[in-house]
This record gives sequence, C-alpha cells and structure tokens, in this order.
Amino acid sequence: MSDHVEPGGRAAPEITQPWDPVVRLTHWSIAAAVIANGLLTKPGGTIHVWIGWAAMAVLALRLVWGLIGPVEARFASFLPAPRAAVSHLADLLCGRPREHSSHNPAGAIMAYALWACLAVMIGTGLVMTGGKSPITIAEEKAAVAAGDWSVLVTENAGDRHGDEEGLGDVAEDVHEVTANLMLLLALLHVAGVAVESRALGRNLVRGMVTGRRR
Amino acid sequence: MNGESLTQAKLKRRQLGLAVVIVLQCVAAVFFVGDVLVDLIQAPLAEHALLELLVTLALIVGIGLNACQLRRMLERMQVQDRALGTARGDLARIVESQFEIWCLTPAERDVGFLALKGLDAAEIAAIRGAAKGTVRAQLTRIYAKAGVSGRAQFAAWFVEDLLDGGLGPAGSNPRGLTKAPIQTERLDQN
Repeated sequence: MSDHVEPGGRAAPEITQPWDPVVRLTHWSIAAAVIANGLLTKPGGTIHVWIGWAAMAVLALRLVWGLIGPVEARFASFLPAPRAAVSHLADLLCGRPREHSSHNPAGAIMAYALWACLAVMIGTGLVMTGGKSPITIAEEKAAVAAGDWSVLVTENAGDRHGDEEGLGDVAEDVHEVTANLMLLLALLHVAGVAVESRALGRNLVRGMVTGRRR
Repeated sequence: MNGESLTQAKLKRRQLGLAVVIVLQCVAAVFFVGDVLVDLIQAPLAEHALLELLVTLALIVGIGLNACQLRRMLERMQVQDRALGTARGDLARIVESQFEIWCLTPAERDVGFLALKGLDAAEIAAIRGAAKGTVRAQLTRIYAKAGVSGRAQFAAWFVEDLLDGGLGPAGSNPRGLTKAPIQTERLDQN
C-alpha cells in the first residue's frame, strides 16, 4: 500500500511534515520587521529601534530553535551546501526540483544569508544607538522635549572621541548597505518561492502560513 | 481521513498558542537583558540591578522550559502521525468507514486505530499524552459501539472482512456496511 500513490493521498511521508509554529511565527515576525524597518518607519526613530530590538529577540529565538527544535527546524537538516544549492537551482530551471523535508539547499543558503544580514543590521544598529534600549531613547527624547538638554551634552562628549565617531560612521554605512542587500535578498527569496511552488505544483506559502505542507 | 482529526487540530492550536507565548517572552527578555546590562555597567552590584538580573534569568529559564515542552508536544504528535500513517491504506479506508458507521468520535477513532495496530492501553496513552484511564474508557466505549466483547473480537471483526472479501476496497466496503446491522442486532440480544 506504500507503493502506489492515490490521487488524494500522500506522495512521500517526509514532505507531509509541517513547519512547526515557532518556525512560522519567527519567519513572519522577521518578514514584518524587515518590511516595517526597511520601508515604513523613520530611520533612527523610536519605533525603528523598538522593531529592531524585537527582531533581535525573534532572531535569537530562531537560532536557539535551530539547535533544540524539531528535526526540520534544526540547522543539522539544512547545513549550507553550495554545490547542492547550485544543482537544485539547475533542477529547478529544468522544471523538476526534488522534494526536501526541510529547506531545499538553495533556500537554506538564502536563510543563512538573510540571518547574517539581520545580525549585521542589528549589530550596526546597536553601535549607532550606543546600545541604548528604545525605552532609554524615548526617555531621552522626552527629556530633550521638556527642555532638559543635559542628555545631549553627555552624548556629544562621547562622540568627541575620534575613534567612536569613525566607528559610528562605518556602522551607519554598513547598516544602509546591508539594508538594501537584505531587501534585495528578500525579493529574491519571494521569487524563488514562487518559481519553486509552480515547479512543485503546490503552494509553498501555505505551508509557512498554516503549517500544513499540502 | 485526508483531513486531520479534531484532537489534532486542538493540539495544533495549543502548540501555536505556546509558540506565541515563547516569542513574546523572547521579546520581553531582550529588553530586560538590555536594561540589566546598562544597569550593571552603570552601578555594578546595586540591589536594584541584581534583582532585575534574577528576574531576567528566571524569564530566560522559563523560555527554555516552554521551548522544551513545545518540542515534546511536537514530537509526540509526530509519533502519533506516523503510527496513524502506517495504518492508512486500503484496510484503513474500510476501518474508517466502519468507524463512521459506529459513530465513533474523532478521539475514539484515533484510539481505535492504535488499538487495531496492537498497542495496549498504556502505549496508546503514552503516544497520545493522555491518562491510561481515559484511554481505557475510550476503548470500552469503542467496544460497546462496535458490539464486540473486547480487543480480540474488535480486531477480528476487520480481519474476518479481509479473509473472505479480498483486499479490494470496492469489494469489502459494501460488506462492511451490510455487517453493521448484524452487529447491532447482536448488541441488542446482549
């Protein structure tokens, strides 16, 4: 009974394994954070920093889940393999991609690239804000608005060191370049999902939304 | 039978809820960690900072425990899925339609499948993460609905169908349907 495939039945048992809720939630939270901070919020604004910190939390959770989560979510099941990724893309161009129980090799490379970009974004963002939490930033802004400019004095005193200012400038440049790179990668990711969904004949997005793969 | 049973849907909703809590806890933890670090740098070993440190550590441990619990739930559901998956096929289709005729609830259907696979009440309880007593009560209800005396007769009910009806679903399904009234009659006599 495992040899023949019925029309409404399952083709291979491994592809019916759904994405777990942590993977789904972290995926969409990070997607929302990237869209919000890349396109909508004011750079350097309190909301921008809030979202950045929340994204840091979500990224941390996903990375920990990659170690302790179920098999499909674990890094061990989608280690970066550039050669496999290239052959997967070649298969995809021929219109006959293979099914994978976790990310496909090309998708895995994309996931690692996006996580690396996120980490760089968060790191440079922290350098630019001096590691201040959004609460502190909001408090300082409120203080300045109320006429207490002393917070600005200490800030300027810190900035006077040549090194720190240079670091801040570099961080800002890296932050901006990486932001554009990440938006580009995200578009590529969406395009990849669309192409692969067509080739496999099933909607891959639905698996990431409902947790059911077919 | 291609869709998931009610109990699984409930289990999935619970998992999603737990995952939402974990994500929220992580976001909260990051802000706490940032706050504690700033406090500790500004005034090391101040009581306020130490208390906050304790709270933050407790939160992080809580996240870890929640994550472990979620993972256990996911694994348990996978085991159940796999056990049910192997039971599926031609025989499973007959069994499923018969379960429907007997008006078994979704939970009773899952238990019935596992019982047919030869698992005892304790093993079924372990797989489903339910109490042994619950599973026993479900089994009793299943036997009563099927009008059989116990596990052996329950399993034999389907095997008998296969032995003289052949494996074809078209041949055995109507037989399963015609058999049902006989069983209820027998139940009435009892």
